[in-house]
Amino acid sequence: MQLFIGAVVNMLFLSSMYILVALGFALLFSIMELLHVAHGVIYMVSGYICSFFLTKLGLNQWLAFLLTVLIVSCFGPFLERFCFRPFFRDFDKMLLVGVAISAIVQTTVVLAKGYQFEALPPFVTGIIKWGPITVSLERLVTFLIGGALLLVLVLFINKSKIGLQMQAVAQDLEGALLQGIDVHRVSAIACVIACGLAAVAGGLMGAYLGLGAFMGDYVFTKCLILVVLGGIGSMSGLFLAGLIIGALDAFLPIFLSGSATEALSMGILICILLLRPRGLLGRELA
Amino acid sequence: MKKRWLIVAAVVIVLALLPLFISSPYVIHILNLTFLYIVAATSFRTIVISGQFPLGHGAFMGIGAYASAMAAKWLGLSPWISIPFGTAVACAVGIVIGLPFARLRAVYYAMVSLFFNMGIVQVIHSLGRWSGGYSGLTGIPTLLGFSKTPYYFCFLFLCLLSILVLYRFEHSRIGITWKAIAQSYLIAWSVGINERFYRVFAVAIGCFFAGLVGALYAHYNGVIGTATFSFMATFMLLMFCVIGGMRSFLGPIIGTSVLVLVPEIFRSLKQFSPYLAAGIMIFVVFFLPQGLVSLPGLMLRKMGKRHAP
Amino acid sequence: MLLEIKGLTKYFGGLSAVKDFHMSVRQGEIVGLIGPNGAGKTTVFNLITGILQPDSGTITFEGKDITAKRPHEVAALGIARTFQLTPLFPFFTVLENVTACFHLHPRSGLLDTFFNTKKYRLNEARIREDALGILRMLGLERFKDEFAVNLPHGFQKLLGMARAMAVRPKLMLLDEPTSGMNWEEISNALSIIRKMRDGGLTIVLVEHNMEVIDICDRVVAMNFGQKIAEGTVQEIRENKEVVEAYLGGAHVA
Repeated sequence: MQLFIGAVVNMLFLSSMYILVALGFALLFSIMELLHVAHGVIYMVSGYICSFFLTKLGLNQWLAFLLTVLIVSCFGPFLERFCFRPFFRDFDKMLLVGVAISAIVQTTVVLAKGYQFEALPPFVTGIIKWGPITVSLERLVTFLIGGALLLVLVLFINKSKIGLQMQAVAQDLEGALLQGIDVHRVSAIACVIACGLAAVAGGLMGAYLGLGAFMGDYVFTKCLILVVLGGIGSMSGLFLAGLIIGALDAFLPIFLSGSATEALSMGILICILLLRPRGLLGRELA
Repeated sequence: MKKRWLIVAAVVIVLALLPLFISSPYVIHILNLTFLYIVAATSFRTIVISGQFPLGHGAFMGIGAYASAMAAKWLGLSPWISIPFGTAVACAVGIVIGLPFARLRAVYYAMVSLFFNMGIVQVIHSLGRWSGGYSGLTGIPTLLGFSKTPYYFCFLFLCLLSILVLYRFEHSRIGITWKAIAQSYLIAWSVGINERFYRVFAVAIGCFFAGLVGALYAHYNGVIGTATFSFMATFMLLMFCVIGGMRSFLGPIIGTSVLVLVPEIFRSLKQFSPYLAAGIMIFVVFFLPQGLVSLPGLMLRKMGKRHAP
Repeated sequence: MLLEIKGLTKYFGGLSAVKDFHMSVRQGEIVGLIGPNGAGKTTVFNLITGILQPDSGTITFEGKDITAKRPHEVAALGIARTFQLTPLFPFFTVLENVTACFHLHPRSGLLDTFFNTKKYRLNEARIREDALGILRMLGLERFKDEFAVNLPHGFQKLLGMARAMAVRPKLMLLDEPTSGMNWEEISNALSIIRKMRDGGLTIVLVEHNMEVIDICDRVVAMNFGQKIAEGTVQEIRENKEVVEAYLGGAHVA
């Protein structure tokens, strides 16, 4: 029973984090048709920045976290202006640029930090005891923060003017342009959100996953899986996919070794996609 | 036409004589790896010609490598037998996987291949001591001993042979059929081309050479790890092709050579080589959208302009 | 009877695109298949050639049941088609567009192809000759080295026919071969179609321009996926239901 509850909490924690990062990634993909290979790298760098604030400047954990998110978010518009706008919607070129950025940042981190793993100290420590059940407070709090953020985002995308503009651009670029929507401004805001989300995840997951120069690859993989499984263009699909992958990652390790879990997850994923290539809730690509 | 083959022959002769002038085994090693990667990148492109993006190509190199290495190490087979065995396994898996994957159109195929690549890496990890798990497989019997130079000639020969075979495929009716399928599977289908067969055939050929490269690498290096065959490695092959120029047969060859050899020129700053690679990538993106192959043509045109009245 | 279609039905979701459709085509005929947009004409073609599988009904060609056959098998049996939206091989020249389609006749085996044997080289030479012949017949020979994408629309449509002829078909399905053409191009296309029939081909023609239909021996009219009339061109022109189906659509003679 304890194991089960622990796994459930893990699942919620992982799902919310995966969805957070994947959401930014999906936003960029649907709005700018950009496969943001460097997204994982932003996550990784955020973790390191947060660690820097914590250890070198000795700031309070929450302050360090908020600062990281702010700084990384501000990086968003620069990305959009210089890296993505020149090649707007030219898929191959943006892919190459993304890979180049990824390589540059990763190499810089390797040069600065070497290949070892670090770990962020956890934000909250301690456990909650609820009758016979013990739950890690950290995981729970992280999930609550993530969940709250996701809620805010969903409301933002669906109710706010900018959110609706984003949806318009994602669905029909020409129509959006004709309506007078400033596509570049919308893209820039999407970049801010994406970077911000990656930063949040970086700060919160840093304790759980650890920090390494190549951590970004792992996270990028998760983003890709979530977007493809959920279906391109579907936010609810993303959420559903996040829950499924989170569940797999939380429950399978109870029965199988780490790599067998990953292998099985991949196998399941491939089977689903073979039967339904557009993803769980995605729309059919032209 | 004749002139082209003369140039090729000249290059081959130069390459064959090169080891006489090189004393450093490290340089030979880099050239060996270049030959292998050229075959990997060219076979990657062969599949791309048929309209599919095999983002799982690295996995097939890995399958070839591990099948051959494990057969040699645990079953005591000689590398001369286990390498063809590994190649055959990679080709067979390619066909088995290629068949259901061929039902998917372009983007979906790419995604599923990518996940297949990741999955295979994890499968290898989960095989514990048989595959060396996370730390890699060591003690693989070598093909030609421990000196690097014999491998140079072996790999040069196999590289040339492979390129010839792939070139022939592309420039024969088989290649035309592949390119037709890539441009419009609907038309191809309606003129009697069994497009599913041809696409799986392309995958089979590509995976054959991928497996061969992997197996050769295993018995050359003596040690293999999954990092060499991860989705990042596949991405690297994609980069070699795109930067060299996906439209031309020479593209992967040039792309691989430049991206592997140029960083080696600045060997002392080896750790900075990804910067150089990134720089080349950015340069190509901005100035050479058709890839490095288009560079001579572009330069000739620029020079022609200067001489204009 | 070259082609027989009985009870053909195809649903997309809850909508019937084709419902209980019957048609027969005799050797050497030019049969017109007309109807307003969305009547199901292209769907019938897709069902015949195997791009779509019917939910019920049978299609028989030369006595053989081809209902479940896939497009490449249907082509091998001798049915070729053009497409409404003229897809092309954009990276091939006009000549390459046609030579690429000579997949079935003459057929070189994989080994012959790979080892560049004499048989293969002879086949390839013949293919090139035959392709040039087809281009000549269609008046496209002067564009042979031009990239197909650069051709004006009317010529692209003729190129579609050239590709279909490479299959050496017995039955040719032409899907709106004259759409987007001006009158000069249309009469050129019609004379080519007549030449094809004189050469032994049987042709089924989808059109929704009534004026082009004159070339047909017989006409089948469709609306909402079902056959509403059949007869000679004159009979169809005077048929009340057909006239009604077209009210508000293309003009009626």
